[in-house]
Amino acid sequence: MTSQEVRLCGLLLREHFGDVVEKVGTHLLKSGAQNLRTIIHETGISLDLVKKSLCVLVQHGACVFSPGRKGRGSPTEYVASCDRILRILRYPRYIYTAKTLYGDTGELIIEELLQRGHMTLSNTVKTVADRLTQNMEEGHSMDYSEVSSAFSKLVETHFLQRCPPPAGAGSKDSTTEPTPESFPDCYKMPHVTLVGRGKRQLSTEDGEEQRNAKKARLAIEVGTHGDEGIYWQVNLERFHLHFRDQTIISAVANKLDQTSSEIVRTMLRMSEVTTSPAATCTKPLSANEIFRSLPSGYNIPRPILDQYLTLLVDDPMEFVGKAGESGGGMFVVNLDRALANLARATLESVVQERFGSRSARIFRLLLRKRHLEQKQVEDFAMIPAKEAKEMLYTLLSQNLVQLQEIPKTADFAPSRTFYLYTVNQLPTARMLLQNCYKTVANLIERRLFESKESKRLLEKSQRIEAILASLQASGAEPEQLTEVEEMITAPEKQQLDALRLHINKLDSAENQVDETIFLLESYINSTASSTS
Amino acid sequence: MSDVKVKRETNLSDPADIESRIKELCQQFPHGITDQVIQNDMPHLEPQQRAMAINKLLSLGQLDLLRNSSGLLYRLKDTQSTSKMKGSDNQEKLVYQIIEDAGNKGIWSRDIRFKSNLPLTEINKILKNLESKKLIKAVKSVAASKKKVYMLYNLQPDRSVTGGAWYSDQDFESEFVEVLNQQCFKFLQSKAEVARDSKQSPMVQRNSSFATSHEVWKYICELGISKVDLSMDDIETILNTLIYDGKVEMTIIAAKEGTVGSVDGQMKLYRGVNPIIQPTGLVKTPCGLCPVFDDCHEGGEISPSNCIYMMEWLDF
Repeated sequence: MTSQEVRLCGLLLREHFGDVVEKVGTHLLKSGAQNLRTIIHETGISLDLVKKSLCVLVQHGACVFSPGRKGRGSPTEYVASCDRILRILRYPRYIYTAKTLYGDTGELIIEELLQRGHMTLSNTVKTVADRLTQNMEEGHSMDYSEVSSAFSKLVETHFLQRCPPPAGAGSKDSTTEPTPESFPDCYKMPHVTLVGRGKRQLSTEDGEEQRNAKKARLAIEVGTHGDEGIYWQVNLERFHLHFRDQTIISAVANKLDQTSSEIVRTMLRMSEVTTSPAATCTKPLSANEIFRSLPSGYNIPRPILDQYLTLLVDDPMEFVGKAGESGGGMFVVNLDRALANLARATLESVVQERFGSRSARIFRLLLRKRHLEQKQVEDFAMIPAKEAKEMLYTLLSQNLVQLQEIPKTADFAPSRTFYLYTVNQLPTARMLLQNCYKTVANLIERRLFESKESKRLLEKSQRIEAILASLQASGAEPEQLTEVEEMITAPEKQQLDALRLHINKLDSAENQVDETIFLLESYINSTASSTS
Repeated sequence: MSDVKVKRETNLSDPADIESRIKELCQQFPHGITDQVIQNDMPHLEPQQRAMAINKLLSLGQLDLLRNSSGLLYRLKDTQSTSKMKGSDNQEKLVYQIIEDAGNKGIWSRDIRFKSNLPLTEINKILKNLESKKLIKAVKSVAASKKKVYMLYNLQPDRSVTGGAWYSDQDFESEFVEVLNQQCFKFLQSKAEVARDSKQSPMVQRNSSFATSHEVWKYICELGISKVDLSMDDIETILNTLIYDGKVEMTIIAAKEGTVGSVDGQMKLYRGVNPIIQPTGLVKTPCGLCPVFDDCHEGGEISPSNCIYMMEWLDF
């Protein structure tokens, strides 16, 4: 839990859940496992609010509770998980992926589940159907069965999973929290009969009464669907695997050509549910299987497919490897090597953009040749001595390049020691990851600052919009509308537009940096687990 | 008349005759004669006289004194070099010999001092003398620009001293290297494009996008952008820099001996490639490129709220 991560988590919690949850969350992150009494004491917040914040955090999976460490009878302790909170940054990407794969219905299901944390199937279906009906034309409404089928599709491909049952107070010696995967019914759809259609929300006059009536109805209806207690959550790991596959496919498309990337996409699709998340490579697939599973649009003859596979195996990037000869050749996708190559390309691109292409040349040279003396660096990179020296020292001061001393004598006399420059990929990746966290935190703070600066203007524009909406609803004349619109002067309108542009830019920048974060995190996790 | 064999009696006590006899012997044995040989030839010569004659010849510079495993060797010196050294004294000859031994790599003045055990002032005087007589020259080394190495006047300095094709007058020619770099890359890129557009089977496409180092070398020579002759090794160093730029990849294949361009039964093939990812998200934000990134925190002089880079970036 580095300070940058804690700062970023604090900002994300404040934006999504409010100040109180932020205080409790950051306190838990900084101090590790604590019980309720200690939290109340140290944050100075009242018992009520602390309980509610903890509920919110548990609901979203950001906090887990476990029996106290001092043995039975000691109060339960709460631990906040930094990783889960950082995932909040990635919600837009999850929702967008669901939209591309399963359409609007899938998008709304994922969005609802991300916002609520855990929900039952019936609840989700109803809410999503209602929302979809809102946006449809008059007279049409969304059928529950469509939403249910979309839901079951998501479960089949493991994008949604059941929440594990909570570890009871009297649970046995399982000291570790059971993962959702260890629960056998993780992906089983419950037998639920849901018949009905989405309800359109009526106009605002009757809004209040409608809402109360609906609440009462919901309360009754939930009990009748037979799936209470079965809560569903979004399987973030599965989305991560999907993102990783996408990145590998686009890298192959960039390096080779479209057909090779289609072949790799087929291979990855076939091993989607059979490969464990921590595997270093997919299960071997025979060339015959790949040939049969290729999408029908690509009718490439069998020998050509074999040639493509051979080319993929020979490529120095080592995306695909050959694991045997049976079945026309067994091929695997080397996931960890692909991730290492992608991480290396990320590091190189950062050095290139930040310091120029000659420094990037030196950086790549050191990555390939591991350890080099200064003179050798100058010779290989064909850069004049003075400039090469300057670039090396800049990179060294930014900690992207390390110096290794090899002494000739027992005292490290400078004239009798070899000084070798080297690049270590894993520590450099970690350092860049922390930089990414800091960057995102900076972007969020800037966004909040910009909104705060123009708070008065924003409030004014909101008031005007509200007046306009009410006037329109009550059927006013055009002159009245224009009169109201003119209450915002032209420069103010310009300012508002500029503000909107800024905030959009900052938002999209956050998403872009999140892509880098994802790559670096996957690389670090895959390397760390393989070396441990 | 009696046939009296006139014995050619050499007046053995005449030093000049002894010397000329020794010289004749040397000429007979161009590889050098030992003391033993002289003794055999003139057995009645006393060692003292022999030594005197040899010393005289040595000081005149007509004999070379060498040592081999069995003893001392005397060799007739080349007359041309003898004329050169006329008028020089022993110390100069010694220094000259040391420089000659250094060959075309040259030797530094401090090393001359070590080898000859002469004091520095003497060395400097001798070197100046020899330079004015145009027997040696000083060449500036490219490794350390203040260091001067001395070598014989008519020798070509070695590549390691002048730096080879990339250095002209001690200056690294970076523009020349850049131009070569770009030309090679364009050549490989166009070859790859032609291969891709040919729409043949993928194996053929890939193989035709490769170029051997020999082909690239021929292309560059024909372009004629280089004033100096470039060898295939030079071109390979340029191609290596392209690999370090990430624009080109290399494979080595086994080739039959005798095919054009193969070295030790291998050929190096180069191919232009595309980068595997677009510039990463971090560098699309001002923070990714910020020079004062480490000093920035909320509430400080440099903070996200008052960052000038962000302001410019947002208004872009």
